Amino acid sequence: MSATGTLTIPRNSTHQAEGLLYGRTARLLNRVTGVAIVVFVAVHVIAQSVMHVPAFAGLRGAAPWLPALTTQNWIHAILLFSIVFHTLYGVRLVAGDLGIRLPYRATWWTTLGISAVFAAREILRYVGI
Amino acid sequence: MSTVHATVTVTAEILRYDPTSDAAPRYQTFEVKGPANMRVLDVIRSIYEGQAADLAYQFACRIGRCGTCAVRVNGTPVLACQEVCKPAMRIEPLSPFPVLRDLVIDRSEIDDRYAALELVPQRAVPHDGTPEPVDPKLALNICAYDSCLACMVCVSACPAVDERPFDGPAFMLKLRQMAIHPADQRNRLPQALKGGMLECFGCDLCTQLCPADLSPAQAIRDFRRDMIFGAPR
Repeated sequence: MSATGTLTIPRNSTHQAEGLLYGRTARLLNRVTGVAIVVFVAVHVIAQSVMHVPAFAGLRGAAPWLPALTTQNWIHAILLFSIVFHTLYGVRLVAGDLGIRLPYRATWWTTLGISAVFAAREILRYVGI
Repeated sequence: MSTVHATVTVTAEILRYDPTSDAAPRYQTFEVKGPANMRVLDVIRSIYEGQAADLAYQFACRIGRCGTCAVRVNGTPVLACQEVCKPAMRIEPLSPFPVLRDLVIDRSEIDDRYAALELVPQRAVPHDGTPEPVDPKLALNICAYDSCLACMVCVSACPAVDERPFDGPAFMLKLRQMAIHPADQRNRLPQALKGGMLECFGCDLCTQLCPADLSPAQAIRDFRRDMIFGAPR
């Protein structure tokens, strides 16, 4: 008890449960970015086929927006973020399995930060900076 | 800074279920007034004593050492005696374990799994009764693993347990304790593999939520390292 007569709250020993659950967020983001990469590659292959393979030329009229989809800046930013995050998170998991001890909070923020830098760089490129 | 003088009104939704009489689980809402530093267990006890005398829950030590009061609060498994209450709480029994009643889970399957793992040093020759020298650093690690409460917070939090054939982080941690124990001559890696060690996502959620500040995820990674490079001993 302090001199002012107040009693501070005792230490909450499960304070880890409060705030961001790093593992849950990281795992979900890893899945989302993995799906984003797969979807982009699939759309890219289909779009390239429609544009360059004569057999699929008939689809150009049915989906005129398809080629344009692969040139959207914001999609490129999401793609770059996804690729970098998914790669770094995978490297982190493999490194752990190989016996390299990495702090999970620090690696989460580092991975997220580097991925965001790549995404931001892509956006800045399109706005001319 | 919060003080004991401050009071809060907590709204607690508790999952009520008696398999012998209820057709399905249901949520019952209670309001509890008390000091702002109440623990979740204080809220549950208050409800039991003043509003629902038929509420089933369990606790023993009240200091975060026995692990029996573990519940899920707003979807996150915690020790009820340690977690500070929140203004709105949804309190549920630990998943994925069978519910005996309300917040009490059936731990018999957990006990059976621990027993099946034979978590005592398996010696090649009987112990002669004299103390055996142990490297102090190794002894420290073994003792740290021994502080696992078996509260099943990690198992309840583990996404791999939900999705894959994985026993859970707590069992891997205890297997790792035996694997590094100098008196244990049994190869624990096959047991870990059988328990689904490779199904772990490596998300470290178990590490973050462990009330004993242990890292079951690191124990699993150590097993995986041994699988790749071989055990050091």
